[in-house]
Amino acid sequence: MSAFIFKRAGNGSSLISQYSRTKTRALCFSQPLHSFLDSNQNSKVLDSGYSSILLKSLKKPRGSFWALQNSSFLGSQNQHSFHLNLKGWIWAGQFGTQAAIEPCTSDGLTVDGITGSKWTILEESESDWRSHAAATAQSIQVIKKRLQWKKLMVRLDMLSVELNKPDLWNDPVHAGKISREHGSLMGKIKEVKTFEQELLEHIDMIKLAREENDSELESESMKALLRMRRDSKDKELEALLAGEHDSCSCYIEVQAGAGGTESMDWAAMVMQMYQTWAQRRGYGVTVVDEMPGEIAGIKRATIKVDGEYAFGYAKAEVGVHRLVRISPFDSGKRRHTSFAAVAVIPILGDVSTHVQINESDLRIERFRAGGAGGQHVNTTESAVRIVHIPTGITATCQNERSQHQNKASAMAVLQSRLDQLEMAHQAQMNSQHTQSLTEISWGNQIRTYVLHPYRMVKDLRTNYEVSDPDSVLEGDLDDFILSYLSASLDKDDDEQ
Amino acid sequence: MMKLRLSGLSCGVCANFRRPISLCYSNSISSSSAEVKPKIPLYLRPLSFSASLSELTQWHKWAKNLASSVGSSFVHLDNGPDSTLLRRELNWLLQDLLELQHHSAILSHLESGNSENVDVSVALRAPLEELYCVWRQRIEERRPFQYVVGCEHWRDLVLSVQEGVLIPRPETEMIIDLVENVALNKFPELAKGFWADLGTGSGAIAIATARTLSTHAHAHGRVIATDLSPVAIAVAAFNVQIYGLQDVVEVRKGSWFEPLKDVRGKLAGVLSNPPYVPSGDISGLQAEVGQHEPKLALDGGISGTSDLLHLIDGAASMLKPGGFFALETNGEKQSKFLVDYIENDKPGSFCNINIVSDFAGIQRFVMGFRQ
Ligand SMILES: C[S@@+](CC[C@H](N)C(=O)[O-])C[C@H]1O[C@@H](n2cnc3c(N)ncnc32)[C@H](O)[C@@H]1O
Repeated sequence: MSAFIFKRAGNGSSLISQYSRTKTRALCFSQPLHSFLDSNQNSKVLDSGYSSILLKSLKKPRGSFWALQNSSFLGSQNQHSFHLNLKGWIWAGQFGTQAAIEPCTSDGLTVDGITGSKWTILEESESDWRSHAAATAQSIQVIKKRLQWKKLMVRLDMLSVELNKPDLWNDPVHAGKISREHGSLMGKIKEVKTFEQELLEHIDMIKLAREENDSELESESMKALLRMRRDSKDKELEALLAGEHDSCSCYIEVQAGAGGTESMDWAAMVMQMYQTWAQRRGYGVTVVDEMPGEIAGIKRATIKVDGEYAFGYAKAEVGVHRLVRISPFDSGKRRHTSFAAVAVIPILGDVSTHVQINESDLRIERFRAGGAGGQHVNTTESAVRIVHIPTGITATCQNERSQHQNKASAMAVLQSRLDQLEMAHQAQMNSQHTQSLTEISWGNQIRTYVLHPYRMVKDLRTNYEVSDPDSVLEGDLDDFILSYLSASLDKDDDEQ
Repeated sequence: MMKLRLSGLSCGVCANFRRPISLCYSNSISSSSAEVKPKIPLYLRPLSFSASLSELTQWHKWAKNLASSVGSSFVHLDNGPDSTLLRRELNWLLQDLLELQHHSAILSHLESGNSENVDVSVALRAPLEELYCVWRQRIEERRPFQYVVGCEHWRDLVLSVQEGVLIPRPETEMIIDLVENVALNKFPELAKGFWADLGTGSGAIAIATARTLSTHAHAHGRVIATDLSPVAIAVAAFNVQIYGLQDVVEVRKGSWFEPLKDVRGKLAGVLSNPPYVPSGDISGLQAEVGQHEPKLALDGGISGTSDLLHLIDGAASMLKPGGFFALETNGEKQSKFLVDYIENDKPGSFCNINIVSDFAGIQRFVMGFRQ
């Protein structure tokens, strides 16, 4: 199951690619209205003019068209512009709260209605349309919960209000940010809405087929419902990675806890675990910064994990990892407990969202420099440390083969650290995932790995556990990650 | 990425220069031979060898142990590399040895020590015996890592180097930042002129400058690189070719400004990292430098400033008014000495003289403009 979702996420499967398609569409202001709405039934009436859609929707609040449940869609501001000119209305339509309208079947059945009627869900192999429909509707509710649907709607409302402000583009950077986020939310919402709409259409269809004794249509619709039921399971998984920065590449940082060589060795094992995990997933992995321990292991290290959804998955690993084992460094063969802290930093893809860094705020130092330097010394050590003076945040890189490249890599790490700090300020992300290594409390243990006296790995957040630590340490982390992601998104019952 | 681009670029180059070479050769090189052929760096050599994964693992284990056995003894001896650094070099050696796209997978296999797939055959750019031989040279003879792999990463360049040519230093990278930030950004017209890199060695400064000039719009600037050493001339020419800059960088053999008579008074920029190590320091240098790098590239006379002074004198007559110069020095003492010399012995020749520190805080560069 996990392999499946990874593969799909990797090749940009349906849900995700549709997101981005709709995103660009919604972003494109000059796009005519009909293409914006092309995949729902309204496109049928659009040919007869923009006004007719409005009339029909208003005249026929329930029916096989979108029903307006909440007229904030035509809030005072928009109404105003509608009366003034048609273009103003289109504008309002593009940035309006599409979310406020709820699709239903010809006899008024909504997706909530389906789950409400508690139809029995049978095995997939049973050809029962109610069962397929109920299973799909249930998935849709899971998806909505994972997307944090209610919050999404509130946010969309806020963004729409912003977008309709006439002076918005006086600040193009802000405007760009708002319209991008609006576009991306619209994309997500539309994706689900379209899926709901499709479900209801198939239900309409199957009822029609039965009324008219059209067995061919009935079996086709049955097949379509089954397909939807299966698709909805994938979408459930994909909805786990719908966070704003989930699709980004990221840095993973590991730091050894107290306890000297013991913990440094554990930190190196944890880092190795992430490197193989990432490699198996097909991500690019590069060691950016590594401070080795005197005898074994690492004091701390940073790797860069390149690829789609690296951050979405890796963020589930933030926190303290605890190891219990017989120490290989203890001649007395006693049991030791070691700790390693893990932090994850997203690498924002969109340059325009980066925090601006002033050159004059930076101090660049040759790391571990000493002696005369220049022609006196031939060393392949060309580590660079960059200090951002106002925040005191630093970044070091020594694994590149030229100082210039070390500086560039360190600069990239610094940029991401500052971006993350800014995000934490704006509380855009779940604050736990934005913690830097220095902020993670050693009390915040998320997982225990026991090698002795028994063998198991247990996640303290989800209670998910396995009895084979070796495979986990070899990078078999997907189940831990997915169970955490679903638990953290599904837990909040009144979220939906 | 760089490497892919390079190997693409280098196909033609390799054909011209390819000849059977052994990576494991004695350290002495006959710099007297009239025609020096540059060696092909490991990363550009074809993948014509192979070893089983278990053989490679065995070598890697051996090499790692050898590196670890050094501990910090070289650090105490002459501020040489410690075992951490040597192990990092070992990874880089693997990087150059293996096919790029398999490098990280093989490396993590070697690191993890797991014993699956040991029969898998791995393509290599050098035979395993050579690897034993060169790694022993690296540790036991302190042969510089860059000579072992035949290249040095410098700024965003990968430059071929070999015995007889100074391995470009990280400090020197900053000369290009000075060209960019001090000269070209303020006086864009300088990008159209002739620049000189004196004592070019591997061609590092000349090539990076040429690339910087070309990023400035409408630039038709050119760089002339000079050196007295025939090995340096051959290696610099090879590197120029790898970066496809034959039309922009011209390599000339001769002493300092002597091959530049045709551009006297016309130069837009004079750049140099001349030998500046005081003669008395040579015997105490770190083994990688003192025992392997060319004296011609290091020895700057009794106080280390004889070439620097000669270059200041030359810059005064070779630069056009408004022309820029930047010189690397041994540090604070030499830099201050040069500034004094300019102010007292060359009054009216230069302006905006400045000393710039490297990232270690050492006052490394003297720069200014021809009045
Ligand atoms: C310290 S190395 C610098 C090499 C290169 N520019 C770099 O930064 O890596 C000094 C260079 O000056 C060259 N050199 C020494 N004496 C010279 C002379 N009289 N005329 C021209 N070049 C000379 C040496 O051969 C050597 O390549």
